[in-house]
Amino acid sequence: MDGFIKKLLGAAKLAGIETAEVCYMDSDSFGVSAKDGEINEYEVSATRSLGLRGLVNGKMGYASTEAFDDAAIDMMVNAVLESAALNESEEQDEIFAGEETYPAVETPAADPEQATAEEKIAFVLEMEKAALQVDERIRQSQGASVQTSRGTLRIVNSMGLDLRREQPLGGAAFAFVGLLGQEGSSVVTGYEVKAAHRFSDLDAKALGEAAAEETLSKLNGSPVRPGVYRVIFRNDAMQSLLATFSGIFSAENAQQKLSLLEGREGETIASEAVTLMDDPLLPGGFASTPFDAEGSAARRKAVIEDGKLVTLLHNRKTAKKQGTATTGNAARQGVGGPIRVAPTNFFFKPGEKDLATLINEMDDGLLLTELGGLHAGANPISGDFSLIAKGYLIANGQRVRPVEQITVAGNFYQLLKGIRAVGSDLEFRGQGIGSPSVDVGSMNVSGAEQ
Amino acid sequence: MLDRNIAAEVLQRAVATGGDFAEIFMEDRLNHNLSLRSGRLQSVRTGRVHGAGIRVLDGLGAIYVYTNDTSREGLMDCAAQAAAAVKGKAGCKPVAFSHWDCGRPEEIRLQPADVKAALKAEKLRAADAAARSVSPEIVQVNGEYTDSTQDVLICNTEGLFVQDRRVRTRLSVGAVASDGRENQVGSENPGALMGFELFDERVDPEAYAAQAAQTAVTMLHAESCPAGVFPVVIDNGFGGVIFHEACGHSLEATSVAYGLSEFAGKLGQQIAAPCVTAVDDGTIPGEWGSLHIDDEGMPTTKLVLIRDGILVNYMIDKLGGRRMNMAPTGSGRRESYAWAPTSRMRNTYIAAGQDDENEMIATMGTGLYAKRMGGGSVNPATGEFNFAVNEGYWVEDGKIVRPVRGASLIGKGGEVLMKIDRVGRNMQMAQGMCGSASGSIPVNVGQPMIRVSSLTVGGK
Repeated sequence: MDGFIKKLLGAAKLAGIETAEVCYMDSDSFGVSAKDGEINEYEVSATRSLGLRGLVNGKMGYASTEAFDDAAIDMMVNAVLESAALNESEEQDEIFAGEETYPAVETPAADPEQATAEEKIAFVLEMEKAALQVDERIRQSQGASVQTSRGTLRIVNSMGLDLRREQPLGGAAFAFVGLLGQEGSSVVTGYEVKAAHRFSDLDAKALGEAAAEETLSKLNGSPVRPGVYRVIFRNDAMQSLLATFSGIFSAENAQQKLSLLEGREGETIASEAVTLMDDPLLPGGFASTPFDAEGSAARRKAVIEDGKLVTLLHNRKTAKKQGTATTGNAARQGVGGPIRVAPTNFFFKPGEKDLATLINEMDDGLLLTELGGLHAGANPISGDFSLIAKGYLIANGQRVRPVEQITVAGNFYQLLKGIRAVGSDLEFRGQGIGSPSVDVGSMNVSGAEQ
Repeated sequence: MLDRNIAAEVLQRAVATGGDFAEIFMEDRLNHNLSLRSGRLQSVRTGRVHGAGIRVLDGLGAIYVYTNDTSREGLMDCAAQAAAAVKGKAGCKPVAFSHWDCGRPEEIRLQPADVKAALKAEKLRAADAAARSVSPEIVQVNGEYTDSTQDVLICNTEGLFVQDRRVRTRLSVGAVASDGRENQVGSENPGALMGFELFDERVDPEAYAAQAAQTAVTMLHAESCPAGVFPVVIDNGFGGVIFHEACGHSLEATSVAYGLSEFAGKLGQQIAAPCVTAVDDGTIPGEWGSLHIDDEGMPTTKLVLIRDGILVNYMIDKLGGRRMNMAPTGSGRRESYAWAPTSRMRNTYIAAGQDDENEMIATMGTGLYAKRMGGGSVNPATGEFNFAVNEGYWVEDGKIVRPVRGASLIGKGGEVLMKIDRVGRNMQMAQGMCGSASGSIPVNVGQPMIRVSSLTVGGK
């Protein structure tokens, strides 16, 4: 690949592209899935992709490829020239020569020995078996799978930058088991998903049993009548909501009127219980990195501190426009897209109370564990959401029964202000965005009369 | 794209130590994307997607290996890795290739690869201006233009060797209306299995953009939708997402073959009200979800799923067909070479009925008229679905009284299909991207205006 990159940057220069940058990613992955005691899917991949961006007359052009022949070099150089000539972005684009030094990030130690395909096959079979053995009301498996991947990210530019890291740092191993439970006419699904850097840190039996417990706990659920309820979002539900609305903290979105947080730095936008962190240096984080997509040094910062908006997330361009410094949150869409803004390890700073305490203090209300349809029922521009939800009815601080076929509606901006307490059970589940369970105060809930 | 001798050698290698079927799916795709925001072109992107996936079937087990390295060595290495997963058995004997021409129902008049990016940008500028002219409350317009030219080659050990080209073009316009305190949005996303002639023949960017802006402004001045259980009238076009979620996914072999669908084992039974006939049709010329051949190389089909309320067909891919002992229906699809194919929808719609649209609302009492729908999702095993209403109106005593925002609709597919009590006369389709087990693929949804006698409405 070194040869191809050199040739491409050479051709770019010859064609009149003043400064150019290559972003290269490769990944090897392995996945296997079992259903009903048999291996039904087995997948191996080796992929490479490369993006080129380049400045012509101060304007940026973009192209990408997964083919690495001479035709690809011509295609990309010509595409960048055409693209740059049409770019009308008002802000000055730049390609960065890099920092003197980058922070160190603690990288998880790799498995001393790579697990074989046979070991992973045995793992998924054991995980599925453990789940099915828990209770006869676990009717069927929806599939048990494990996936492992390792990759590289490299950024090279004509200003002398040449950065490389593992993607993700420490590699990734995911396990998933989904189940179908039935008791009488009640049919439910449940699952457990776990991520680790090392395959050897995954526990097949524990995962299978946890999936079975989750599934059984949902049997015989029913709606609640429409009304305003006190609500706690369990850590996984809150994680999905925060991920959906994370774009409101992008300075790029704010500058383009796609977030209502433009110019609100220093103002109180959330309750005092809320501190929201972006920490690319988090040891073991799945989005940990010493540098961002532009080659700026990554750094830890609070986005919201005790309810006050400290900063939005910036890349070099949005920072320049606002007369501030980049926060090291430049991100590309794939390898070939423009530089945008994205969080790294992004999470509500955990509080003191565990979930049981939060539930106990809520007294009466709903613990919501699953939110659905986030891609459609939640609008990151308005902040509005109206989502299908599942969970448990809580009375006198105790779980009374499972709840299904309800919706929960609100507005994320208002939700931030109404947060009463942030729990201690921070989880990431293999993603950069994570959350503890959060007591969000009162929410509008719809459902059928019982 | 791929020499036949090399293809034969790779397939031979894939089944050398086991497996009863092997397939190569090779792809070379050129994507163009233009993005306009704040009235200015922010980026113009060209991307080439290139790779191949080799699949080996061994009874009901599937092995999939994919790579970007489509050289002989790269493909042979993939084949060897696939073979290693079924070692120790006798493989099938590949049948010699017979050429097969999939035909080209439509002609692409303006190949997107030959159209200058500056001309594509004009469509975005027209959309931007039209959206902004609707109201001073429009503070932002997001315009995206995309086209994709996908060349595929599919060959297998049953002697199939076929190539196809799929050209798709799409415009997306999102308008944001704001009063400084609140934002609301509207969007329109028309597209087709066509080249740049899309804009001469089907899509007026200004009309779609004005519609998106009008929705955003209307919603900015709307009140929150009441929550509860109400009758709901769902308009045509993207309203068809209700069938896509409430029923379509649950009729795919992906869930049916494993008994993980509420409609498994129900062929010949009534699963919907008698006024409901539903179709999945991959053959409609130029439609966004149409195909000449599916991603397993089989000719696409028109498939009646439900006739007068009775379930008559499932959507079946090759592997699902093996599990179900049924023939594939030309429904095997995948996002790209990086996904093994599975059964998916194409252009799926509720067929036109007999009912009067005005009467439907006039006799509904109090409830919701969902004029424009957003996307949704479903859990096929339980039938639980949800989808968003992008533009809704509250109806009291059969009269539309005010716009309402923030509504979502939820239910269980089997129950909702039985509660459809009106099906209108004017069927229309709209375009979407559907995400499932084999990635994100273009599909149409569609229906005439329909009424559901009661549905849980989420709101405030």
